[in-house]
Amino acid sequence: MKMLNAAILILVLFYPSLSTEWPTHTVCKEKNLEIYYKSCDPVQDFALSIDGCSKILTNTFTIRAAMVLRHNINVLSLDVNLGINGKSLLVYSQKVCEPNNRRFIFCGKKKGEHIYYEGPVTLGIHEIPQGEYTVSVNLHNEDHLTVACANFTIRNK
Amino acid sequence: MACHIYWLILMELFCVSCEVSEPVDTMCTEVIANKSYSCEDLGLREIPERLPATTEILDFSFNLLSSLHNSTFSKLKNLVYLDLTRCQINWVYEGAFQSNAHLNIIVLTGNLLMFLADTAFVGPQSLKHLVLTETGLTSLSFIPMQNLDNLETFDLGSNHISSLQLPPSFPTRNLKYLDFQMNNIQRIAAKDIDILLQTKNVTLILKGNDITYIETGAFQSNLFYSLDFGGCIDISVVLAGLQDTKTHTLWLGSFEDVENGLPINPPMLQNLCNISVVDISLQKRHFLHLTAATFQCLSKLQRLDLTHTYISMLPPDISGMNMLEELILNRNAFNSICNISSTTFPSLTHLHIRENAENLDFGSGCLETLSKLQHLDLSHSSIENLDCCSKQLKGLIRLQHLNLSYNKQLQLQDLAFKEGANLELLDLAFTRLHINASQGPFRNLHLLRVLNLSYSYIDTNIQHLLQGLQNLFLLNLRGNKFQSGTILNDTLFHQVPSLEVLILSFCDLTAIQNQAFHTLKKLKQVDLSHNKLIAFSTDAFSNLKSIYLNFANNRIHIIPRDMLTNLSGQSIINLSYNPLECTCSNIGLITWYKQNMDKIEDPEGTLCCEPKSLAGAKLSTVTLSCGIGVAGIVCIVLVFILLVAVILVGITRFLKRHYQQL
Repeated sequence: MKMLNAAILILVLFYPSLSTEWPTHTVCKEKNLEIYYKSCDPVQDFALSIDGCSKILTNTFTIRAAMVLRHNINVLSLDVNLGINGKSLLVYSQKVCEPNNRRFIFCGKKKGEHIYYEGPVTLGIHEIPQGEYTVSVNLHNEDHLTVACANFTIRNK
Repeated sequence: MACHIYWLILMELFCVSCEVSEPVDTMCTEVIANKSYSCEDLGLREIPERLPATTEILDFSFNLLSSLHNSTFSKLKNLVYLDLTRCQINWVYEGAFQSNAHLNIIVLTGNLLMFLADTAFVGPQSLKHLVLTETGLTSLSFIPMQNLDNLETFDLGSNHISSLQLPPSFPTRNLKYLDFQMNNIQRIAAKDIDILLQTKNVTLILKGNDITYIETGAFQSNLFYSLDFGGCIDISVVLAGLQDTKTHTLWLGSFEDVENGLPINPPMLQNLCNISVVDISLQKRHFLHLTAATFQCLSKLQRLDLTHTYISMLPPDISGMNMLEELILNRNAFNSICNISSTTFPSLTHLHIRENAENLDFGSGCLETLSKLQHLDLSHSSIENLDCCSKQLKGLIRLQHLNLSYNKQLQLQDLAFKEGANLELLDLAFTRLHINASQGPFRNLHLLRVLNLSYSYIDTNIQHLLQGLQNLFLLNLRGNKFQSGTILNDTLFHQVPSLEVLILSFCDLTAIQNQAFHTLKKLKQVDLSHNKLIAFSTDAFSNLKSIYLNFANNRIHIIPRDMLTNLSGQSIINLSYNPLECTCSNIGLITWYKQNMDKIEDPEGTLCCEPKSLAGAKLSTVTLSCGIGVAGIVCIVLVFILLVAVILVGITRFLKRHYQQL
């Protein structure tokens, strides 16, 4: 009976159509600050780490991020949404890549290429608020197709 | 008990997996019948049998092929475009494409290629585009050159190629675009690229290579279309190597995610004097001493891009820049437009000062000498001006396009664009406007075709707002408010008789009066989405033969059929995301809708809201049986007659019996 239990559990766990959500990754876990993220792109997960978590409180910090492009990015737009208790507090959007304005070296990359970004990120927020809140980040391309999507949970005590 | 639950789960799993294990080829999406198919990301291990032999375009990216044989694509003889991005292909064997004579484009991005057979690309009669981006290439000798003579574009980016040594067999006959970005090329010798001399107007991308040496004269007497050395550390190395070269475009800029290169001082640009170039980008470079000497060898340029170069002022004594037509100064830190020394660039037709980091002072007559200027972009630059814009635009008699969007606020005076009588496009979106004019602020803009006033908080009560705009083709009023949420039959839109496109989304509208747009005989597109409209009415529009009406995201419940029947010809309507009723009181809409699906935009979002039982159902799937048909009426009449007859018979019998007893 125990064997059967285990077999069924494994089946349920690994069954692809039953596990559509990506795992939650831990970026930071320090005494005062915890940051987790989860990919909300149904097609793929992505990798992210922050160098020196406490620096996030200084507004500019260094990240490392990697992913495989599922779409061309001649245009890449960023939407950030800061929310507390399901309410949106701050919405921020920016064009990261445009055909005549290639700010980053990865601009113009094509579907299937791998992107590795190591560098500074500046938040459009002046102060990181205290408490627990969520930040959703969405990157989309010229055809409004999702390039990357992530939901962050931040606990700043 | 637990066991039972497990059996149930198992049963369910089997049921789901039955569906999943259906033949895989049914899952490819047909983009164009018999011609174009997408099998992206389906975990396929072979080309589906059921793809028709007539397939010309096949997107097979993100599957699992591991190797390509001569039989892999042998059935798809008509293939023109084949995308094999990230298929985990390691081996391409001989004659992999030998049956595909019409093949034009092969995309192999992101496959770790371990072997390409000598005849790997033999077969296609005219292979024009080959993409070998990120395929783990270390050397060009790995690529078989057989049958690549017709190549027009060749992508070899994001590999580990360390030498640009092009073999004698390298395809140059039709080559237009050669991409080596993000490789490890450091040194370029003259003999490496001498084969490129055979062809003209090539674009060569060397962006993201850490170039430390180019042999002097390596590019000599070549004629390129574009040379891209983006992100290189030392510009002087590149310029020394490009002596006596001719190219249309030279890209020497850098990026935010790339280590800062050496700052530019005037001697570094000396070698530019011996290069024939008309368009240069130096974005994201630092200038050590920005003086007139910096521009000494830039005098033959027609286009100069100085985006994000940390400058706050251009030296006033630059001379000889008589040929410059386009100057891009985006993402810098000017305090005033006067600081760009516009007298230096008398031939300028295009000027861009977008996303200025400081509050940009519009100044007064700063651009006066730019009598040839046609396009001026000052968007996102925190401009705040209380007296706009005659003084500021003084002298710009040829100005056609003016972009002042995403600024702080502007106060428009009488004849605000007095100098811009030739303006064709005026973009004031997201800039708060205060209109102080007794007459129309735009009334002299007789040639204006496009006016964007979205989210400009204009006072729509001003009746003369659009006065004089007799040639206006497009008007965007998105996000502005109208008094009591109603568009009245008044004169606001009577002043723009040429209007074809009108955008009134996000305006909090609750009603539109019947005659509001009646003078707009040419109206072709009206966007009324994201409002609070309760009624759908076509009465307000005179042209109903080829009109596009967007009523998405409103509060419409019921649409009378006669509002729809006069929509003829090429008309299209969008009714998505309205609380539509799918009851018999809305039968007019539902029957018309099904007969006119070709006139509907976004049927996926056009859903029922009422009754609760049909909430969320697509309008096209709803069938209602309403009212009483002819058969019903006959039945009722028959029943009635029968009833009367029975009663009559009953009464006569009763009476007979009653009287017989007497």
